[in-house]
Amino acid sequence: MLDQDHNRYHDRIAYNLRLSEPKVTKSESRAAAFRGFRDAIGVPLLLVGGGMTGFGALAHDIGFASWEAVLASVLVWALPAQVVAADLYTSGGDLVAIAIAAALASMRFFPMAVALLPTLDNSAGGQLGRIAQAQLMSATSWAFLMRGSAPSDPRLRLAYHTVFALTCLSIGAIGTLAGYLGAAGLPRPLALGLLFLNAASFTVLLAETRSRQALLAVLLGAGLCAPIHMVLPEASLVLASVIGGTVAFVFGDRLRKPAS
Amino acid sequence: MNELLHSPLAVVLVAAAATFIWRALGAVLVGRIDPEGAVVRWFTLTSYALLAALVVRLVGLPTGSLGTVSLSIRLTAVVVTLAVWWATGRSVLLGVLAGTGCLVAAVAWAPGF
Repeated sequence: MLDQDHNRYHDRIAYNLRLSEPKVTKSESRAAAFRGFRDAIGVPLLLVGGGMTGFGALAHDIGFASWEAVLASVLVWALPAQVVAADLYTSGGDLVAIAIAAALASMRFFPMAVALLPTLDNSAGGQLGRIAQAQLMSATSWAFLMRGSAPSDPRLRLAYHTVFALTCLSIGAIGTLAGYLGAAGLPRPLALGLLFLNAASFTVLLAETRSRQALLAVLLGAGLCAPIHMVLPEASLVLASVIGGTVAFVFGDRLRKPAS
Repeated sequence: MNELLHSPLAVVLVAAAATFIWRALGAVLVGRIDPEGAVVRWFTLTSYALLAALVVRLVGLPTGSLGTVSLSIRLTAVVVTLAVWWATGRSVLLGVLAGTGCLVAAVAWAPGF
């Protein structure tokens, strides 16, 4: 029943969008694509470039080849999963442990895809087209597409997102290589600075947390990691996040409900 | 075979597959999942907890070269990151640059700190 309601809801949005903007000319499409490029070489260039530079430095530090570092950024295309995998690889984690931790780190792509994809035109691409857009999507491209200033017509959004995300991916690949070469060639203090970039940016990202429930999850995840690490070093990341997230979910939900 | 399983390439492919699964699942289940529902809320909270645990590992329990930097420098750099981020009206760029700059300067001029 709920599923049907949701299908109807999305059909209606798509139908309304089609009614309100009946024609999209080639020049409008081109303009949206160009805007995607222009928007990507602003703040996203610094965010994505900086994050991937940190990953490139980390990849060098743990003994990846330069091409393996760039391949990781292009194929995984999700900074937390890349850093988690690199961290576990160097501390001796096996592939199953790495797969579980990377899957936990990337879980957020599921709700992001569910929210973003229905707003992109899919009349030509089918299921494969949807999956391709989901693969291109990043936290940055998602945030930019969800802004009020992004194009509203589904066809223009598709052109905008494709070019925006491909530009970010190119920046990410270049940043990874730059960080890798920087860690290899720069004086030690600067190379260590590159290694610290990811920790610093994740810290700020967590400090941006607004809801109390999410803050509880952050505090639990951080507080549980070290004690668990003493007993089960390889599982500390997965256990701290699952326990922290679940406790925050259960107690936070109880806090959200008004007292009866 | 054992070497192949522990190669960087295997790690990259496993991490890519583990991430791709969620993207593809989202693409397939579009319209059939409530983005505000309980499962999605648990996903979000667990992701926050994971990122926090990851920061603790990167800063507090580093496995690579960062481990050669003293814990007091690493912690100071995190405090500077947060302080500058807060003092500059929540500027991500300035916070990250200041914290990283602090670590670079401390390693260069006060490695014993």
